[in-house]
Amino acid sequence: LVKQSSETRPRSLKVSLHPPSPSPSIPHSLFPFSNHARTQSLTTMCVCCSNLPAKPAEEAQKHRQQYEEMVAQAKKRELKEAQKRRKQLELRCKVEESIGNAAQTWNQEILPNWSTMCNSRRVRDLWWQGVPPSVRGKVWSLAVGNELNITHELYNICLARARDKWKSMPIEPVTEGSSLADREASLELIKLDISRTFPHLCIFQQGGPYYDVLHSILGAYTCYRPDVGYVQGMSFIAAVLILNLDTADAFIAFANLLNKPCQMAFFRVDHSLMLTYFAAFEVFFDENLPKLFAHFKENKLTPDIYLIDWIFTLYSKSLPLDLACRVWDVFCRDGDEFLFRVALGILRLYEDVLTRMDFIHNAQFLTRLPDHIPPDQLFSHIHAVHMTSKNRKWAQVR
Amino acid sequence: MAYAYLFKYIIIGDTGVGKSCLLLQFTDKRFQPVHDLTIGVEFGARMITIDGKQIKLQIWDTAGQESFRSITRSYYRGAAGALLVYDITRRDTFNHLTTWLEDARQHSNSNMVIMLIGNKSDLESRREVKKEEGEAFAREHGLIFMETSAKTASNVEEAFINTAKEIYEKIQEGVFDINNEANGIKIGPQHATTNSTLSGSQGGQQAGGGCC
Repeated sequence: LVKQSSETRPRSLKVSLHPPSPSPSIPHSLFPFSNHARTQSLTTMCVCCSNLPAKPAEEAQKHRQQYEEMVAQAKKRELKEAQKRRKQLELRCKVEESIGNAAQTWNQEILPNWSTMCNSRRVRDLWWQGVPPSVRGKVWSLAVGNELNITHELYNICLARARDKWKSMPIEPVTEGSSLADREASLELIKLDISRTFPHLCIFQQGGPYYDVLHSILGAYTCYRPDVGYVQGMSFIAAVLILNLDTADAFIAFANLLNKPCQMAFFRVDHSLMLTYFAAFEVFFDENLPKLFAHFKENKLTPDIYLIDWIFTLYSKSLPLDLACRVWDVFCRDGDEFLFRVALGILRLYEDVLTRMDFIHNAQFLTRLPDHIPPDQLFSHIHAVHMTSKNRKWAQVR
Repeated sequence: MAYAYLFKYIIIGDTGVGKSCLLLQFTDKRFQPVHDLTIGVEFGARMITIDGKQIKLQIWDTAGQESFRSITRSYYRGAAGALLVYDITRRDTFNHLTTWLEDARQHSNSNMVIMLIGNKSDLESRREVKKEEGEAFAREHGLIFMETSAKTASNVEEAFINTAKEIYEKIQEGVFDINNEANGIKIGPQHATTNSTLSGSQGGQQAGGGCC
């Protein structure tokens, strides 16, 4: 395999700055490579090399000069880094302040006058910039609504029913004879998936603070909608809601979100209906990014390959969580059209890279997006996507 | 990078049997105890050498939940090899093999090589499916069989590479029509002189890329 070669060079360079290790049994990791340690190791070098013949004056002079240059450079670097840190801190303070101001506006002006203000130009602009985390849950709840008229009581009834069902179910794995629905709703499967939902956050896993809550919401839903049951991807949606809302309210938002036509089509895995969404997406893809669209066609990269994950989890698995929440902000307001608009925004943001890659690299790139995606840049690309094609809007094409 | 052949693989089997972990172990040589849930499909790629020839494996790692079967079915098309995975510590994942096999046979081309994999062989104390049962199932249905551990990497290389060897032999025997891409085999771009820039340059930024 060809992988190794690029790694070996820089490592050997680093090692060469060091005095010979006192003992081969001491691992390199005991010698951190900080500037400080490096300058120190230069001085110790004289001690450990004392049995060598003395350096000629000229060489000693040269070494001293080199040493001083290194120290000066290190100092310069440190100063630069301190400046950078200060700037970052200032920026963060500014961001925090604007979030605080926005939260105040949402709390004192917008939320109390929701029905009259929610469609105003000013609120829409503010909304686009991202809803402050402290009011996010409330805004999502209001925007999603409760068409299903679910009450806290109903949630408790569904939850109690789920608990009864789990109690009466055998703990050992479900056997072949049991029905599909049993298997799908099985406690084991939900448990297995919860452990694989945002594992890096360590809050939904067994023993974590939200393990039971996530479990309850998913279980209650299988009793509320036994015809849909538990489908993979739901755990991510429920998890994001739990992070922003109390349990019963999270359940209400969850059930109402899944009840939207697009989400229903996906979570019932209605394949032909999903294909019509993908086909509509391709119309706008071609319209917005014809060059990339042609490139994908040529490479047989179909939209299902990347859209399934994005749509099923509403981007919560594929985008960094804070960015995903910003997507949710506008999705709760604009509906499924926005999900596909975000997809086009992502493709637009990475258009240059994507047009240069072949099938497998594109497929890998899109099914595992970069860890760091600049939020404002992504949103300006989403903004630039136009959702009309030949005078038809998304809902008409779909 | 130039390759003589490209084989498309698909990994199938019940949810939680370790499909994504097997892929990660094969492409990145590492194990993630708690892997993200796979929704839809994920991808891996790696170059291997068989009979002195560079072969690129393009691997489609699918979601395991029953509900997603209709989606998974569309991914069999053009696969030259399939890894059908069950978990030796969960009897039900073994019991479902027949339906997976039916799906695979029905939606792929008839020459697709299927490797049956009993994964999690490191968890001997929790074993529910005997190795002999896996062997018998494979014999009965004409599959190759191996027990693997994505955690310890035991037999992981072998599983992917032996499947490729079998496909390669079928090519040599003339069973596979390599000019028909529906068979999941593509002849490498080494003959195409100018247009080979696509596969190399940008791959480095993806963690799961392996060496391709």
